Amino acid sequence: MDHKYINSMLSQMDKDLAAKGMSRREAMKLAGISGAGMFMGATNASANEKEEIKEVKSGVKGKIVIVGGGLAGMSTARRLLNFLDNPDITVIEPEALSVSYQPGQTLVGGGIWDIDDIRVKRDDYIPDGVKIIKEKVIDFHPQINELTTAEGTVVKYDYLVLATGLHLDFERIKGLENAGRAMSAGDNSKLLKAMGDDGICSIYTAEGAAATWTQMQKFIEKAKNKKDGEKVQFVFTHPNTPVKCGGAPKKILNLANARLKEAGARGNAELSFYPNGGVMFGVPQYHDAIVGQFKREGYKWYYRHNLIEVDKEKKIATFDSKWQEKGPFDPIMRDFEVVSKHEKVRVPYDFLHVTPPQLAPREIAESDLGSAKGWVPVNKETLQHIRYDNVFAIGDVAQVPMGKTGGSVRKQYKVLVTNLIARMEGKKLPAKYAGYTVCPLITTIGTVMLAEFNWTREPTPSFPLDPTVERWMWWLMKIHLLKPMTVVGMIQTGRA
Amino acid sequence: MKKIILSALVASVALVAADKTPIYKSGMLLPPQPKVIYEQQCAQCHGMDGKQTSFKGSSTVVYSPITGLNADALAKELKEYRGGIKSKDYGPLQKYGYGALMKTSLTDLSWEEIDSLSQWISNNLK
Ligand SMILES: Cc1cc2nc3c(=O)[nH]c(=O)nc-3n(C[C@H](O)[C@H](O)[C@H](O)COP(=O)(O)OP(=O)(O)OC[C@H]3O[C@@H](n4cnc5c(N)ncnc54)[C@H](O)[C@@H]3O)c2cc1C
Repeated sequence: MDHKYINSMLSQMDKDLAAKGMSRREAMKLAGISGAGMFMGATNASANEKEEIKEVKSGVKGKIVIVGGGLAGMSTARRLLNFLDNPDITVIEPEALSVSYQPGQTLVGGGIWDIDDIRVKRDDYIPDGVKIIKEKVIDFHPQINELTTAEGTVVKYDYLVLATGLHLDFERIKGLENAGRAMSAGDNSKLLKAMGDDGICSIYTAEGAAATWTQMQKFIEKAKNKKDGEKVQFVFTHPNTPVKCGGAPKKILNLANARLKEAGARGNAELSFYPNGGVMFGVPQYHDAIVGQFKREGYKWYYRHNLIEVDKEKKIATFDSKWQEKGPFDPIMRDFEVVSKHEKVRVPYDFLHVTPPQLAPREIAESDLGSAKGWVPVNKETLQHIRYDNVFAIGDVAQVPMGKTGGSVRKQYKVLVTNLIARMEGKKLPAKYAGYTVCPLITTIGTVMLAEFNWTREPTPSFPLDPTVERWMWWLMKIHLLKPMTVVGMIQTGRA
Repeated sequence: MKKIILSALVASVALVAADKTPIYKSGMLLPPQPKVIYEQQCAQCHGMDGKQTSFKGSSTVVYSPITGLNADALAKELKEYRGGIKSKDYGPLQKYGYGALMKTSLTDLSWEEIDSLSQWISNNLK
């Protein structure tokens, strides 16, 4: 961990606090208590999502199999134990570092944390009473409630929870085919080799996040020593698929900016953002706040650009750029047609941060449990599969709009456990997920904008402060509180 | 400690379970198994020895044997056949013939799998 930053941030904070006559200790306590509520959005949770006060255990029986023991799978397993008298729960998870703290990858990429700060071992968090199979599921047979692992183990179930997360599809980008696909945790040496050592990087894997910091330092150094008046080009992408944590591509941009300023090299660098979409954020208020921040910081941005190719030798990123033009007059419609156009745009880079296209694991997408788009089609409120009523999905793999964050998982796992037990008891599913997502947008070292929202696309702040304002208090939460909240609160107790 | 013993126990129980035949499918982030890929994707047309030169489906197709090939050159061809997975920029390659058919067989393979398959073909089909 980079203590210099923590310390300078803390001293800034002390000044802020002193002005209000408060000590750091008092403030931390306050942030700690409300911090928990903040990440859960407790104050604004709809009645349906409110936690049961008492944990009444159910006597129902049935074999529950959870595929994927990452954040969603492990915390669901742990929580089910709290509500079942006779739990029969099996988690299938092949990756030893499956519960590593992915939101911390951004901080690793910005050189604030080390990779060891985010590594969390699966075997340290397997709750007593939960069986684990350390294999990978390859084949699903939902018609007969059965699945098979790569080792050939056949597992039968009464109830199935899909929590496999998603695949990072680097191989779709021409020039990075060697990288193959990847998952965030574990060995990603193949990916790192394919990206090379000359400016291409991605915080979307843990190891890639560490490499991002190495590359970032190199090009900040280059900017520092620039004398020819040319600018070192820092380019950041956002693909044309759903991504986990839609804020991460901008957070790493902001951290690079902060590091450049700190090195006194910002004047010799240009930071550009190339998102596939036409806005910065789906929620208008946050969009406006981000555009304001982009202007203040002097970034450039180009909407509707999707990265399709990298030339590592010449250091050129090629984007597919889309726009619409006024077409010929249509005499029947009495209006002009709108013609969609696109062209390849070649952008020279020195440092290129790639946010890879993301998709459901192939074993899910191609099974009868997947949908045309790959994700598991569930009722977005109950999280129950639309065809198999003994199957549920949670986390990144579930086809739920705007839901691919740890903050959503934190809401979803409670809904899922309540509904799964109701299904086991033969009752109507009572709990409903309202689409809550939280995205702490790091705006610089020391401040965060805490973007909270749900399917209404309205900001849903769980704290009585303007959510579009960047605050050090959110930073404190991001740095100090969210990880223990996630790892200890969700995975270890199933209660947070 | 208790946790660890329990999980070790479960894992070993799973390991001795009866009807276990490891399965392999391409494109699932598993370490490549080139022989299985060959059996699944190639053998039907090319034969297990790589010497088969025709295939009778709805019509008969004729092609060359695939013995004695250089691994690197083969990998390059197969990657061209496969092209990018979703990008519209890559259509099926017609340079070597049977482009659409070859693309279908290769579309699920990662480059790592294609490399290992090519090596296997070069080493084993003489
Ligand atoms: C750079 C980055 C920054 C982020 N920042 C934030 C943030 O600030 N706030 C926030 O809330 N969220 C953030 N997230 C998102 C958050 O980490 C994810 O949404 C969360 O981890 C999803 O949990 P999950 O359990 O669905 O998937 P994962 O945690 O990815 O776990 C899936 C597990 O399933 C296993 N698996 C996959 N396939 C199989 C199979 N066939 N058989 C058995 N097991 C399988 C995998 O090995 C894996 O361990 C960030 C993510 C990244 C990458």
